[in-house]
Amino acid sequence: MRKTLQKNSLQKAVAVILCGICSVAVINSQPIAEKSTVKTNPKDDIKPMPVYGHWKNFTTKEGLPNDHAYCVRIDGKRVLVGTHEGMAVYEDGKWTTYTTKDGLAHNGVVSIDVSELTGDVWIGTLGGLNRWSAGKFETFNQLNSGLPNDLVYCVYCDGKDVWTATGGGAGHYDTYTKQWEIFTEKNAPMHEPWTYGVSAGDGKIFIAAWGGGVIEYTTKTKQFKDYTDPDGEMEIDLLPDDGPVHDITTGTTYGDGLLWVSTYFGLSSYDGTHWKGYFDHDSGLASNFINFVRAKGPVVFICSDKGLSSTNGKSWVTYKKNDKNGDGVAIIKNYGRIDDSTVDKTTKELPMAPCVAHNFVIGVDADDQFLWVATEGGVSRGELLK
Amino acid sequence: MKASRIISVIVFLSVLGLIIYFTGGKWARTHVNYITATGDHPLNCLSCHLYTQKSGFIYKLVNKKYLSPFNLAVSKDGSRLYVVAQEDNSLLVVDPQKRKVLNRISVGNLPHSVILTNDGQKAYVSNQWSDNVSVIDLASAKVIDTLNTGNGPAGLSLSADGKFLYVVDSYSSNISVIDLNTGEERKRFNSGNNPTGAELSPDGKTLYVTSRRALIAPYGETIETELTVVDEGIQRIRDRRNIESAYMMENVAFTPTGDMAMITMIRPKNLVPSIQVEQGWMMTYGLTIIEQKENGRVIQLLLDEPNAYYSDPFDIVITPDGKKAFISHSGVNTISVVNIDSVRSLISKSSPEQLNSYSNNLGISSRYVIKRIKTGADPKGLALSSDGRLLYVAEQLEDRISVINTESLETVGSIKLGGPRIVTVARQGRRLFNNSGHTFQNQFDCYTCHPDMHEDGLVYNMASKDMGRNLTNTQSLRDIGDTPPYKWNGKNQTVYKQDGMRFSTVLTRTEQFNYKDLDALTAYIITGIPYPPNLQYNPNGELTESQLRGKAMFERTKDSYGNVIPENNRCITCHTPPYYTNLKMAYVKTLAVTDDSMLFDTPHLNNIYASPPYLHDGRAATLEEIWTKYGTEDRHGRINDMTKNQLNDLVDYLKSLRAPTYDNIVTKKFHAKN
Repeated sequence: MRKTLQKNSLQKAVAVILCGICSVAVINSQPIAEKSTVKTNPKDDIKPMPVYGHWKNFTTKEGLPNDHAYCVRIDGKRVLVGTHEGMAVYEDGKWTTYTTKDGLAHNGVVSIDVSELTGDVWIGTLGGLNRWSAGKFETFNQLNSGLPNDLVYCVYCDGKDVWTATGGGAGHYDTYTKQWEIFTEKNAPMHEPWTYGVSAGDGKIFIAAWGGGVIEYTTKTKQFKDYTDPDGEMEIDLLPDDGPVHDITTGTTYGDGLLWVSTYFGLSSYDGTHWKGYFDHDSGLASNFINFVRAKGPVVFICSDKGLSSTNGKSWVTYKKNDKNGDGVAIIKNYGRIDDSTVDKTTKELPMAPCVAHNFVIGVDADDQFLWVATEGGVSRGELLK
Repeated sequence: MKASRIISVIVFLSVLGLIIYFTGGKWARTHVNYITATGDHPLNCLSCHLYTQKSGFIYKLVNKKYLSPFNLAVSKDGSRLYVVAQEDNSLLVVDPQKRKVLNRISVGNLPHSVILTNDGQKAYVSNQWSDNVSVIDLASAKVIDTLNTGNGPAGLSLSADGKFLYVVDSYSSNISVIDLNTGEERKRFNSGNNPTGAELSPDGKTLYVTSRRALIAPYGETIETELTVVDEGIQRIRDRRNIESAYMMENVAFTPTGDMAMITMIRPKNLVPSIQVEQGWMMTYGLTIIEQKENGRVIQLLLDEPNAYYSDPFDIVITPDGKKAFISHSGVNTISVVNIDSVRSLISKSSPEQLNSYSNNLGISSRYVIKRIKTGADPKGLALSSDGRLLYVAEQLEDRISVINTESLETVGSIKLGGPRIVTVARQGRRLFNNSGHTFQNQFDCYTCHPDMHEDGLVYNMASKDMGRNLTNTQSLRDIGDTPPYKWNGKNQTVYKQDGMRFSTVLTRTEQFNYKDLDALTAYIITGIPYPPNLQYNPNGELTESQLRGKAMFERTKDSYGNVIPENNRCITCHTPPYYTNLKMAYVKTLAVTDDSMLFDTPHLNNIYASPPYLHDGRAATLEEIWTKYGTEDRHGRINDMTKNQLNDLVDYLKSLRAPTYDNIVTKKFHAKN
């Protein structure tokens, strides 16, 4: 009963967040005080954590259709942003908006991915799934196709396969055979069909299933394995590192041999053998309430309700905006978790003016030069500080 | 005594014979009248019962295996022709000088296209019914490799550097990119609907892929057919151009300078009630021309004349000097010759309004069509010698290659490929099927609306007593001999009736087929149109887990709540194997306000995946929509108790249905009920 109540209240909270968040976009062109790089502990043979600055924020004033930005995806020289009122594309310094009038299934665009194979853009909306190819929109919905449900919270391209996390289960679309598969509690070890996130790596698909932890699907064997919080506690992580920190998962991402799992109660990583939990009280995580995660190589970016965090498991950089103005700070911690056997447990703060547009962060993507962040108060772009 | 007994026996037998003769003749007359829906078809049992056998000894006795050349390529030195013999599943190596077939190389099933490598050492042949490409070493004349593709490989093109092969997957509507170093498919693009032709621009940067079927859209909207543009350098789709009011864009050619791309096309008038055939109110035929520059215009020019139509344009080639384009019209056994400079001049001197009007101008062709050259039956693929002096034409239903001098524009010879010398009844029927000669001013033929003897995916407003009523989704003709009645309203009990008097009254608007031709056409339709294999959804008869679950749903007698489904509302009741039709009329609550009150013929379902849109008026764009949007009242089967997973399983099963011949199911012989 407690689980159900918890789940329902969170579902409502998410719905409210997605649909009615107020925007507070602040643009500040003041230069930031910079430092060079943030190094991790010298004993660790890993690359230094990237730090981003020179933030530029984009809102309706700059051409976004709406300040409620749900997702962002870098696609070569252009950037695709899902907003509450359509998809905005940033190219050559200009924003162009696509809506249902252009063929978008729904103006609420909550997830975007790009097929590395074909360049096709796959768009998850609150009213179906789009393939956007060479300017043409094709719509898949629950009435005209095998898409499980029109609430497409996450879409992920894995080679020729397109995976979706929807309100009616996870969907797998094979672009070669054009056939759909649906995975729900009927045929997969899920708690219920509601799924929030999906990603792939190492020949496996990782589905963030609401109340069901992480569902791992091995594409070769077509076998499922589920990872849930073994302690069964919904309020606290009773036994640390025994599995995912919570069964209510919001996202998964795979990078550099690590699976990262976000929940509304903290972050987990899994190396195939061991789980490790991260919370706001024992790491550099901005908040335990995590909306989305995306790994780019060894670094994972964590979108929370109190800012954007990033970590490689050994150190942290968290970006937070001040409540009073558009300035903010990058908070740097040179340890992965407080109980790690590291030397430097200090926290450093790097002032940034401006910083991210809003602390409620929902989407993120990065390339070699830029970090793009989708927030409830607009879209932010940070430059990699050399 | 003995003599009188003999006389009595003779008298008795005579009387008996007379009785049998008169009553039997009367029965035969009634029977034939019923079958043909006429009163004067000759009482010739053989014309029906001999030539409509679909298998067995008699079938083999009265039919022949033809070659059916479809596409071809010429070696650079002009010493060899490589001819795709579609029905022979082979590539023929031909010496054009000696006019002799030198070699026959077996390839896959129903080969479609052939392309040669730049060094002339290899040929690639797409096998439309095998889902692969044969790689042929031309020196040894042997298949040295087989490359897997998507479903229904058709047009082929090599990348500019020769390292990749682009394969147009005509059935699955894809473009496969095959790495010729590894032989593996590197990626697969989504394309337009039912693509076929592929051509690389002269600068090697752009690949055009043409489509045949229009994009699925609600009836009433202007049809659009996609031209898919691939950026060859980065192997990405650069553009998807919707060509308005056109479909059956079979092939494309670029001018050598690369300033224009010319695409064969048909402009159907399916939105207009088919009450007037003249002046292009059913179909017109021509070229879509795309200027190859930034913001290049799309111009449509007809190849027809005010009182003569040049139906079913198929292939197009342009001479190396860029002066002439040759277009094969398989419906009228003709090659049109277009003066390209005249086209350029016309375009440059015309205002945008004038250019726009040309797409419906039947007289404009006199400005650029400089010659019509007659060919043998069903000209399809074209190939020019490297010097451009000779044009080779694959005459599909003649088993012959004709040779045309591109300067004199005269046929200078022909090459017989060695097919059967006699023309069987069914072969003659196929020629009729593909020829517009029986239509008013050669406007169209059976093949026009039933390309590949299937259907064209369009919904027509056929002539009826009230205009604008009874929209009709074109139905496939594949293996329909055993599935009477015909038409959605089931008014035609036999193919004879379907193609007889009614056909000329409603459609061709000219003299009906004479009975000999009608018999031949019927024999062909009943015996000669097989289903393609269902390689995409059911390649070997072994159903997937999802399809098996769907089969159980299809055959179920109780719904998800345990309630018995009334027999007449079960899928399996009306859609009975092996054709998945019980040959009866049914009411599934799909009658539109524009329909007369009627029942609908229960359609057969084999290869149903290849026949969108669905329902009698094509309102359902996908199989799912039959139930999610148009079957909400549980009158078209019990469906609303199903979960989304179960509906997906059912659709998966429906897509797996294939012709009984592939499962070695012996079907009941055709017997029209009398």
